[in-house]
Amino acid sequence: MTTAAAATAAPDGALPGPGRTHGRALRTLVRNPMGVAGGILLLIVVLAGVLAPLLAPGPPTEVHFSTPFQQPATVGFPLGTDDLGRDILSRVLYGTRASLEVGVLSVLLAVVAGVPLGLLAGYWRWLDALVSRLADLMLAFPFLILAVGLAAINGGGLGNAAIALGIANVPAMIRVVRAETLRLAEADFVLAAHAMDAGPLRVLGRHILPNALSAIIVQATLVMPAAVLGEAVLSFLGLGIQPPDPSLGIMLSDAQNYLLRTPWPGVFPGLAIALICLGFNLFGDALRDALDPRTSGSGERS
Amino acid sequence: MANRYFRCLKFLWFRRFLRFLRFPRSRMVGAPAAVLAAAVLSGCVPVQPVSTSARHEDAYGSPVGSRPVRAGGHLTMGLSSEPDRLDPTTSSSLYTRYVMSAICEKLYDLDAEGRIVPQLAAGLPDVSADGRTVTIPVRDGIVFADGTRFDAAAVRTSLLRHLTLPTSQRTPEMGPVRSIEAPDAHHVVLRYRSPFAPITAALADRAGMIMSPRALAAEGDDFGDRPVCVGPFTFVERVPQTSITVARDPRYYGAADVRLDRITYRIMPDANIRAANLRSGDIQVADTISPQDVDALLREPGLRLLQSGSLGYSGITVNTGNVDGVGSPTRRIDTPMGSDARVRAAFAASIDRATLVNTVFNNWFEPACSPIAPHSAYASAASSACPAFDPERSRRLLARAGVRTPYRVTLQVTNSQDQVRFAQALQASVAEGGFDLRIVPVEYSTLLDVQKRGNFELLMLGWSGRIDPDANTARFLATGSAGNYGGFSSARLDDLLDRAARTTDTADRTELYGRAVAVLQSQNPIVYTYRQRNLTVVSDAVAGVRVYSDGVVRLGGAAFRADGKEG
Amino acid sequence: MARHLLHRLWQSALTLVLASIVVFAGIRALPGDPATAMAGEEADPATIQAVRARLGLDQPLPVQYLKFAGRALTGDLGVSTRTGTPVGELIRATLPVTVQLAVYAMAVAVLAGTTAGVLAAVFRGRWPEWAANALSLTALSVPTFWLGILAVLYLSVHLGWFPASGYVSPFDHPVRGLYYLTLPALILGLTHSAVLQRQTRASMTGTLSADFVRTARAKGLGGTAVVFRYGLRNSLIVVVTVVGLQLGGLIGGAVVTERIFTLPGIGKLTLDSVFTRDYPVVQAVVLVITASYIVINLLVDVLYTVIDPRIRVSGRSR
Repeated sequence: MTTAAAATAAPDGALPGPGRTHGRALRTLVRNPMGVAGGILLLIVVLAGVLAPLLAPGPPTEVHFSTPFQQPATVGFPLGTDDLGRDILSRVLYGTRASLEVGVLSVLLAVVAGVPLGLLAGYWRWLDALVSRLADLMLAFPFLILAVGLAAINGGGLGNAAIALGIANVPAMIRVVRAETLRLAEADFVLAAHAMDAGPLRVLGRHILPNALSAIIVQATLVMPAAVLGEAVLSFLGLGIQPPDPSLGIMLSDAQNYLLRTPWPGVFPGLAIALICLGFNLFGDALRDALDPRTSGSGERS
Repeated sequence: MANRYFRCLKFLWFRRFLRFLRFPRSRMVGAPAAVLAAAVLSGCVPVQPVSTSARHEDAYGSPVGSRPVRAGGHLTMGLSSEPDRLDPTTSSSLYTRYVMSAICEKLYDLDAEGRIVPQLAAGLPDVSADGRTVTIPVRDGIVFADGTRFDAAAVRTSLLRHLTLPTSQRTPEMGPVRSIEAPDAHHVVLRYRSPFAPITAALADRAGMIMSPRALAAEGDDFGDRPVCVGPFTFVERVPQTSITVARDPRYYGAADVRLDRITYRIMPDANIRAANLRSGDIQVADTISPQDVDALLREPGLRLLQSGSLGYSGITVNTGNVDGVGSPTRRIDTPMGSDARVRAAFAASIDRATLVNTVFNNWFEPACSPIAPHSAYASAASSACPAFDPERSRRLLARAGVRTPYRVTLQVTNSQDQVRFAQALQASVAEGGFDLRIVPVEYSTLLDVQKRGNFELLMLGWSGRIDPDANTARFLATGSAGNYGGFSSARLDDLLDRAARTTDTADRTELYGRAVAVLQSQNPIVYTYRQRNLTVVSDAVAGVRVYSDGVVRLGGAAFRADGKEG
Repeated sequence: MARHLLHRLWQSALTLVLASIVVFAGIRALPGDPATAMAGEEADPATIQAVRARLGLDQPLPVQYLKFAGRALTGDLGVSTRTGTPVGELIRATLPVTVQLAVYAMAVAVLAGTTAGVLAAVFRGRWPEWAANALSLTALSVPTFWLGILAVLYLSVHLGWFPASGYVSPFDHPVRGLYYLTLPALILGLTHSAVLQRQTRASMTGTLSADFVRTARAKGLGGTAVVFRYGLRNSLIVVVTVVGLQLGGLIGGAVVTERIFTLPGIGKLTLDSVFTRDYPVVQAVVLVITASYIVINLLVDVLYTVIDPRIRVSGRSR
């Protein structure tokens, strides 16, 4: 998707200097109403997650045997309670926090593993074959098997979900960075650096990586909402975050059990997931437009 | 309180938002929507009281009897778990028994009162005075679904296969058998090295299923792919992951009373999917209905509930000596929980079973404090005794044992939703008694491995239960027993359980098991928590579905009602 | 072209072998084994040992792998340790369900996604673009399994418009079969239609503002004609890429939809077999899913050259 777009776009040679791009990008971003809306939504979501311990009326795992299934707007329970009488607002806040943690961790993993591999594969042809096979394998290999396997060995958990989702997003990152490296390796300033006897690591680190940064950031904004949704799916299947730790996915799968009795506990976590992802998608779109007008509006992994 | 109101008011904006969320008016969402409207008008809603369900009486279903039914029809049942191989010898899945009950009759069966009654046997077994020779009379004039004659030789072949096939799951159920003989066409004789009382109950379960010797000779290990037995129905086909279909067997000895043409067991692992299909009428029977769905389902017209208490239990095994894996010699575990019976007693006293069962299972399941189900033929006041919930006592016991509270213990559970929910409620309950319970949900296959290796402190797993109490106790508690995952060892308990297994008199056995439960409740190697109810929902269009205390849904005698609509 | 294809085939074979080794070793690294998992609560050590021996699990790992690989090459994937069903039969029963679901969902996605994408591009800056963009953003942000659950609850259970779950083969009963698959396909196709909408819009916007289109317009070609003659044809390559990638992922990734609607597909088989440590099934299923992913991508590659001969095969050696 992004890879295809980046690859077809590769031939045009003109490259703006890194410094100018970012200044211009920021201005474009601020002028985009969608981007501003996304930014604000994102700010709210991130604040809600970060400040969860302060905002939440109570601990997310506190059981109240005497008040299960309270409806929203009940005294003391603004969003009601679930089957064990736990406060849904607190759980949604802490769940948002967990979702964001998983998202950030899996983005980090995708970057840490994908960027070096992509750089190497794009720069040295002989490594390309090896790295590309690896990426192929990771793409083709059913992701859920990986997640189940990790969960069976480690017993699941937040880190487990982040690892599985990070690994799932590594191949796309490899491809993006590899394509950028291939393109940049032919650029005049890189050829000039070569001519000045710069070593390969210096060329990669000083000249190619900074110029590939836009593509990496764009890819990261795609991974983030995908990871938040992925966490929900994994936890829903019992493979991600494990109870009693709060997670939006677990809340949904719990709520599914007593949906016939009351629909509320299933509504709020679903909305929270949607809002988190909407924030990232809006902001990511605007960021993409600003950083790289050529790939505007394109490419995401779902 | 004022603070609470303030908090609520802070979220007033939310109510405006809620208005957008109103779902189409219907029976289910009508109430929340109305309450919501009230909330919008009046501000915050006071806490709503919890409705508690009443006590639940067993309902086993009744035979068709004189009700008007019609011949023919194709019944569909939603099965909660995919059966494993349809081979009575190697099968270990409980749900396999549901399908087998229609196609594979046993030497003995249960009746509605939980008594063992002859099915393919002509009468109850005749046990010699020394208890070592068991003679079973078998019925005459019966043929298997493939036309082979049913006789004592066929019974012997099946029993031998249960006993000696290397991959048989039945071997332990058969007991210390020395030989199996068929002196004539109507009698089978089991000779034992030592008396083994549980055999009759075992023969009322899978070990009593008799397979066609001709099919066994032809199929060998693949018998389960095309099982042939004696039964009201005969196997037609199995679509992996999807369904198993059986059809009426015209050769069945009771074929005149079999009304249905076909039964399809459709595999539907999700409880709410089974509930949805019952409502929509796509299936007429479904087993293992979730306690969360029962109340809602019972409000639907045209559905009724069959229920029976389980013979099994759910319990928390404490690791008291399994260090090198079950089967290896036990070793002392140097934690307060593993070595001090007072700490385990404290844990048992800190569990508020009634509240847990009420909260987590909507009061559909029952608190359990012993491995002997209260409706078992071997239950007594002693075996049904239950130490009270007493967090004060728990803290006192912990103090006396010199344990600093909160005492941190780790509980491993399967990652199924019900189990994890129960564990979370348990966490809140035992906290009062001074325990800081850490929950580690583990995938089922992994948990089985953990249990075997002894890599646990506390472990929660259920046992489905057997008719004979020996299989519910000795298997998990006798020193060196294959299922003694906690590595528990008590000479007094071993002696009681051993004597109970050798005794054939029910009253004597009942007394012995009562005394065993007293030992269990002072030592607490397994802390029993709750006992399930087998909840089966049946459409009113169908009559004659039976569920007894073994939980098996018996469809053999079912029929569509003549006045009912087509299902 | 032929050389390129041969090269790709060789690479695919290599990926498959790698995948088979990874899954073979991986599944055995998990705690528990088929014998313990099968025995469940009735674990008798002697029986477990006998079952292990019967399954050949007592042999050294390399021997087990070579045996498995050798048999797999002749098309024999073994039998399920749990139900004794031949694995080939299991896959023949489950793979078509998932493929039908995936194709149906993709058809929904292509239809809805490209239409919305074209509308958004043609009416750039006006309300249809905003509506289409808002819809696709929402579809991308909402967890589909949540929508699935709500859809079952309201559309199936309450309104009775769709069956709550189940599967009927469209080849046996075309109308009923499609009816049963419709709700799952709609839910599953939603996210993918959003992706397609955005890709189509981006590509169409690019094409419509390109020089040659402006020239065509200047020459007096009507708006509709431009959209269809130039815009759609150029967007086709994007659609093929996206459909290819997503379809490949769907074969192994439709598991949540399969679970919510209890469709007996290969995703569900995958999860169940890992949970019960059904080694032969897990191994075979991973091979099948990996292979279908590779095949679909090969097809996409070939399609590229058919749709757009300008794409030089050598330039896409990834």
